[in-house]
Amino acid sequence: MDLDKALGIAARGMDVQTRRLRVIAENLANQDTTGSTPGADPYRRKTIVFQNSLDKEVGARVVSVKQVGRDGSDLPLRYDPSHPAANADGYVKLPNVNSLVEVMDMREAERSYNANLSVMQATRSMLTRTIDLLK
Amino acid sequence: MNPIQIGVFDLAERRLAWANKRQAVLAQNIANANTPHYQPRDVKPFAAALHRLTAVEPTLTQPNHIGSSSSAAPPGEIVRRSHARSPDGNAVALDEQLVQVANMATTHTLVTSIYKKYLGMFGIALGRSPSG
Repeated sequence: MDLDKALGIAARGMDVQTRRLRVIAENLANQDTTGSTPGADPYRRKTIVFQNSLDKEVGARVVSVKQVGRDGSDLPLRYDPSHPAANADGYVKLPNVNSLVEVMDMREAERSYNANLSVMQATRSMLTRTIDLLK
Repeated sequence: MNPIQIGVFDLAERRLAWANKRQAVLAQNIANANTPHYQPRDVKPFAAALHRLTAVEPTLTQPNHIGSSSSAAPPGEIVRRSHARSPDGNAVALDEQLVQVANMATTHTLVTSIYKKYLGMFGIALGRSPSG
């Protein structure tokens, strides 16, 4: 039934946004995680990509997580010779997490989650009204 | 009298089926609001769906014949060109889609109300109270 499909699709939409939020939380929590040995790489920002794929259980094309990757952009350096992760020149590699970007991403995830929730509520009320025809 | 042949019920049933299908398509669009390169889909308007009940497809009698044009979208679905697109190639406008979802909910309420009212009229004809 199409309404069940709509519910399933919206549920998957909420699921992927939750996973996105988890990645964002990980990034924000690790925004100061540096290496512990001289010249070691710090935490690299994680990225998440979605795709539209066929789900046999729902019987429709739903959104799913394509991959969780790493941001390969340049790592900022800071001069701090006393740091355990400082290289021979005294520079420490810092994580390439930009908290502003993460917070903006978080807002978008929240907005998409709410949109999926609205679809679910609308679909559910449609289902209820259809069942009410029996009364 | 066969209830299938009663115009209002038949029409209401088709409209409900159409609204349900559209709701699933809109749910898909909203779920994919952050999927790169996703183009929002839509179903054909109800009037068009009503007119074209069975799809007319050319028959292939020779191997040289060109078959029916099968587009990427499933039958009855159209890929809608959107006015704006985000840098990752996604063209879903959440606000626009949510308005359509609200429209579908309204349509659904309307159709189920008409259905119920019409059913109630049978009750009146049979001498029962309208609510029963």
